[in-house]
Amino acid sequence: MLILQQLISGLMIGGIYVMVAVAFTLTIGMLNFLNFTIPALFMLSGMVAWGLTTVGVHWALALLGGVATATFASLIVERFTYRYMRVRYGDATEHALPLVSSLGFLIIFEHLVLVILGSDPQRFPTPFTSADFHLGKLIIGIPQLVSLVLALAIVWGLSIMLKRTRVGRALRSIAENPDAATLMGVSVNYIVPIVFVITGLMAGIAGMLFTLNYADINAYMGDNVAAKAIAGMVIGGLGNIWGAIAGGLIVGLTEVMAIHFFGADIVKIPIWGLLLLILLVRPSGLFGHTAIGKGKF
Amino acid sequence: MLLEADDLNVRYGRNHAVRHVSLSVDEGEIVTVLGANGAGKSSLLKALQGTAGATADALRFRGQDISSRSAQKRVRSGLVMVPEGRQIFVSLTVHDNLLMGAYCRRDSDVAKDIEGVYERFPNLAQRRTMPASVLSGGEQQMLAISRALLARPVLMMLDEPSLGLSPILVNQLFELIVALNRDGLSILLVEQNTHKALQTASRGYVLELGRVVAEGTPDQLRAGEKLEAAYLGAG
Ligand SMILES: Nc1ncnc2c1ncn2[C@@H]1O[C@H](COP(=O)(O)OP(=O)(O)OP(=O)(O)O)[C@@H](O)[C@H]1O
Ligand SMILES: [Mg+2]
Repeated sequence: MLILQQLISGLMIGGIYVMVAVAFTLTIGMLNFLNFTIPALFMLSGMVAWGLTTVGVHWALALLGGVATATFASLIVERFTYRYMRVRYGDATEHALPLVSSLGFLIIFEHLVLVILGSDPQRFPTPFTSADFHLGKLIIGIPQLVSLVLALAIVWGLSIMLKRTRVGRALRSIAENPDAATLMGVSVNYIVPIVFVITGLMAGIAGMLFTLNYADINAYMGDNVAAKAIAGMVIGGLGNIWGAIAGGLIVGLTEVMAIHFFGADIVKIPIWGLLLLILLVRPSGLFGHTAIGKGKF
Repeated sequence: MLLEADDLNVRYGRNHAVRHVSLSVDEGEIVTVLGANGAGKSSLLKALQGTAGATADALRFRGQDISSRSAQKRVRSGLVMVPEGRQIFVSLTVHDNLLMGAYCRRDSDVAKDIEGVYERFPNLAQRRTMPASVLSGGEQQMLAISRALLARPVLMMLDEPSLGLSPILVNQLFELIVALNRDGLSILLVEQNTHKALQTASRGYVLELGRVVAEGTPDQLRAGEKLEAAYLGAG
């Protein structure tokens, strides 16, 4: 019974890793770009929301404000990493520079939050701390359950959007061949920011769900989650949405099980051990294609 | 005149790839541009499409100045290119490739037009849900042309469409070009297959190192020595 309980919490934290992993995998699949600002977007959502509640904003509005800030920050990153490189050097994806500048943005955002909101860990005034329901002996937190369902629903919606809609086709065609997409009349400079809006929304909503459910937040809250999301993404297969889903859930489960059996100190070893093992036996990840890079959707 | 370019230039840094080219295509015409590798044929088409930076004294399409229009706007106004090497989206399905061709269209005839493509090319119809990477070279060229047709072009520019096709497929390709032209499509055709291109076109230009060194009817071009020299000289 205790194991089953652990399974449930593993899936729930896994749902958050899934969203962050999808944010990573989308920019890699579309733009061949490992966007290091994603942890900061995750953190901004939570910390800005908390900051807003301290000045008297209603918690729900504060959460929305957090997600909006993350999305806006993501667009700033697009403007000054990806688009800048593209305009200057023709093709941003061939350069490591966007990666380095996105790392710069990560550090700047984290330190801005440190300076403005302080370094103490904070507690978001969660409105539903004790909303559990009991299934036999199992305790299921309703907010966590809602979060898991919401996370999976959003990712599912995203994959449908990519597959079926006009914008989705335009995104996939840019991912494969931006020059040919231009010949179809797609404005690359208009469509690429959509990837960053999606990234900001995914990381921001994940940050919001984390803040609501796990309450303990600080300026570096994104780093740990993002590291696990990256592990999940690689385990599932780079640049593949279904891989990110499977990988995120696997990492969540591994984490909770490791804590259960071996204690909290050791938790990173099984996760990264699993990652290295999978890279050894199946370098493309569980669901990945053999080639890594552009054109995966 | 449907398309008119006057003193068109393309420069890549110090490389002056297209030099003072003046060219025109009339409604209903098939015009061909010939020249050796590196003569500047693709650069010329890209300049007309708006995907390569160019300067020109005048660039008019359907009577309007398009020199400051983006490539997207030129596509919308009916100037559509089938690029060198086909450039179909191999990770998209055949059907999605065709839908991408109609990306700029807002009308409700797209589905009907796609059915028309499938009637014309049963091979594409059979593979509509498969990724375009499974197509043979000939089928890929048919898809590239069909994709361009779905944009409802007034003038279609084709960049070396016969490259890599077997002689039978080359014949079919040129038959298709003639058929499309008979249905009212104007065509600007870049080719290395001089023989076939001159058989099909009503006028032609010969490019050498970025310059137009000869122009005229197929008979005039065949009679002059510039055509051969262009290939021997720079090839
Ligand atoms: N993007 C580019 N950057 C720099 N130089 C270029 C670029 N594209 C073409 N060139 C140069 O411009 C010149 C003309 O090239 P272009 O591709 O237009 O020739 P082409 O006639 O189409 O040749 P081919 O028959 O081989 O396709 C060449 O010297 C080429 O090296
Ligand atoms: Mg060429």
